[in-house]
Amino acid sequence: MPRLIRLEGERCADAQDDFVTLEEEAPDPGGDIVVSLARFLAEEQALRDRPGGRVGVRLEPADEVEALEGRLSGLTLVALAFPRFRDGRPFTSAHLLRTRLGFGGEIRAVGDVLRDQAGFMARCGFNAFEPADGSSAEEWAAAIARHTHVYQRAADQRSPAFVERQGG
Amino acid sequence: MKALTANRLSDGEVVFWKAGAWVERLAEADVFDDDALATEAETRAKGQPTIVIDPYLIELVESAGFWAPVSYRERIRALGPTNHEHHGKQAEGGGAVEALRQANGAARSSGRVNLIRRK
Amino acid sequence: MYRYDAIDRAVLADRTAEFRDQVRRRMSGELTEDQFKPLRLMNGLYLQLHAYMLRVAVPYGSLDPRQMRGLADIARRFDRGYGHFTTRTNIQFNWVRLEDAPDILDALAAVDLHAIQTSGNCIRNVTADPYAGAAADELEDPRVWCEAIRQWSSLHPEFSFLPRKFKIAVTASPHDRTAARVHDIGLLMRRGRDGKTGFEVIVGGGMGRTPYVGPTIRAFLPSDRLFSYLEAILRVYNRHGRRDNIYKARIKILVAALGAEAFGQEVEAEWAKIGPAGDLPQAEIDRIRNAFTVPDFKADPSTGDFEDRRAREPAFARFVRNNLKAHVHPGYGIVDISLKGIGETPGDISADQMDVVADLAERFGMGEIRSTHEQNLVLPHVRLEHLHEVWKILDAAGLATPNINLISDIIACPGLDYCALANARAICVAQDIARRFETPDRAEAIGELKIKISGCINACGHHHVGHIGILGVDKKGEEFYQLTLGGSGAEDAAVGKMLGPALPIDRVTDAVEAIVEAYLKERREGERFLDTLRRTGDAPFKEAVYAEAH
Repeated sequence: MPRLIRLEGERCADAQDDFVTLEEEAPDPGGDIVVSLARFLAEEQALRDRPGGRVGVRLEPADEVEALEGRLSGLTLVALAFPRFRDGRPFTSAHLLRTRLGFGGEIRAVGDVLRDQAGFMARCGFNAFEPADGSSAEEWAAAIARHTHVYQRAADQRSPAFVERQGG
Repeated sequence: MKALTANRLSDGEVVFWKAGAWVERLAEADVFDDDALATEAETRAKGQPTIVIDPYLIELVESAGFWAPVSYRERIRALGPTNHEHHGKQAEGGGAVEALRQANGAARSSGRVNLIRRK
Repeated sequence: MYRYDAIDRAVLADRTAEFRDQVRRRMSGELTEDQFKPLRLMNGLYLQLHAYMLRVAVPYGSLDPRQMRGLADIARRFDRGYGHFTTRTNIQFNWVRLEDAPDILDALAAVDLHAIQTSGNCIRNVTADPYAGAAADELEDPRVWCEAIRQWSSLHPEFSFLPRKFKIAVTASPHDRTAARVHDIGLLMRRGRDGKTGFEVIVGGGMGRTPYVGPTIRAFLPSDRLFSYLEAILRVYNRHGRRDNIYKARIKILVAALGAEAFGQEVEAEWAKIGPAGDLPQAEIDRIRNAFTVPDFKADPSTGDFEDRRAREPAFARFVRNNLKAHVHPGYGIVDISLKGIGETPGDISADQMDVVADLAERFGMGEIRSTHEQNLVLPHVRLEHLHEVWKILDAAGLATPNINLISDIIACPGLDYCALANARAICVAQDIARRFETPDRAEAIGELKIKISGCINACGHHHVGHIGILGVDKKGEEFYQLTLGGSGAEDAAVGKMLGPALPIDRVTDAVEAIVEAYLKERREGERFLDTLRRTGDAPFKEAVYAEAH
């Protein structure tokens, strides 16, 4: 079971992961589960009606977040997969989930997740991470806080340089 | 004949395998006439990722009493850039450097093949 | 020059500290080479044939004397006393040690320079007109927009792991000196009907394995909507650009696959969703504009004995003919400094020469230096009264070769002498051609002729847009060279056409000479090489190069 780190405010902490990620055809074991986007769309009503557990959706890089438009209520977790850390599509997916689809739940980075991307991930709206490089919560907190200033508006609440410069 | 080459992690210097360690001059490197021994050295070299980057075997030909790489790219690596004769390993001159300069042969560097394949 | 504020400096300091930590983790084995490689590349650090190479950004090709001296200092302390200006207006140091790289970044930061995003699959250094702020024909200084793009793109959280590298060019002059149409995005400043400025937006040009002249996807984009539009383009690319094949990952492939119109519609749809919230506030644009020092030009200054010396000294007159361009202010000139001395390595400059250029910029050039994508330098603001003295000093430093835009002003990538990707050498080919045409009268008689040489299909030497392009290929381990004719990176952008079978290295210069002789035979009054070629087609040139073969 990979380590799970959650970001709350500016703090990172190890967290208990109650979710089980289901393979495509695997039977529902009950409890908190994560299913693929295709399965979620196919079984949406049944999943919403299932008792005694929360539901999360896992998106691969090619999955379009717009498929979840209007379906996010009741979802507590969206896991965005990095099959290779160099695949930058999940950054856009996270950004759109936060800024365009208004998702307020957990966006979790899973797969080839490295702490050298922590700052980018946090800025795009990720707030949970399953590091693949053995890095610790302290290291993630340090990586996220590395840059005192940022130049762009993003999905986080940080003031970009152009706002700071106007005294904002 | 084969030699084993890589770039050193700390400074990028071109280095050659010699008895489990690395030397900067091809003339001092281990030369393998046995493919199995060469491959074994390569495997050991790949186990040194904090010392070198991307070790690979190169083919050699004889030139003026020394061993020289068959591939032109590898000869440039063993000498230095041709536009600055005083830069790189060639700067020290001598028989071994001259032999590399005189060497003939044309083949793709096996390092290049790896480089392309990795992408 | 844009003056950094405390925020800009803090960003560099934080970035350098981050890289120092990443280098430490690589040396200790915490990071594998596969993990470290993209991190070092995002700081411009490559592993080349003989050593690491550090590519330092020269943001939109602008340097001040303090920065040029900082580069000279790095060349002396950490390299072998020289650097290499590239076709992306950056400077590379060829003999860097990984252990020293963090210290070099600190030394760069001390003069407000950096190596951020000079490599990797991110938004690279912006190309600007090297004559920006000086050109007689420009609408306004495009560097304000370049600096705004530099900041916006630096460590962009969403666009730092794109399918492939991404290059933007900005020009505000009708004469394109940036090769905008072969960039991922080309922004050509235009004036709208209401008198306000905007950009023609070109997307999907590029060179490499599949060269394209980029199509225009929007004829006029108001300047104040630039950043939301860039965001829309980058988002469409980040989502839909190919990631399965490195050779098909550039945005040009996406644009070509969808068609310019359909691609443009995707961008417009995304742009509508982003809205003006994605734009940079006018106050920040104004702040950046005000952070650029404006040289204190004198109205109609004396030109001293400029005209007199020009009339009396043929060598000076030749320099003026070839290396001086019209300045927007009377009494001033734009001075091109050739880094193409005959027999020298194109783009190379010694630390001592860097200091000479810095001194000249300080004494006579209002503190400004530019680097060009043609691997030369520019002093954009020189009083004509001082030009003779500037020329004398340049000449003494080996920097006054009067060959700008002539046949010996050759672009060449580092090629197989340095580059791990190269198939063949480029430098020695350039040197050999330059020597063949070293007689200045002959070069001037031939006129504008741009030779561009790449050591591999990645086309760092821009061979596709050379009037004569030369591409090094590896034929069973031997260096061969493929000639193309008719390319152009200017406003009449075109991709050159292959002339015939590749030639061995010892036949390249003869082939170039045969092409030149054929041109001189065919040329009509007032034609450049490119004009003649476009009129005649390539038959006479093919004949000249290949008829006598074998």
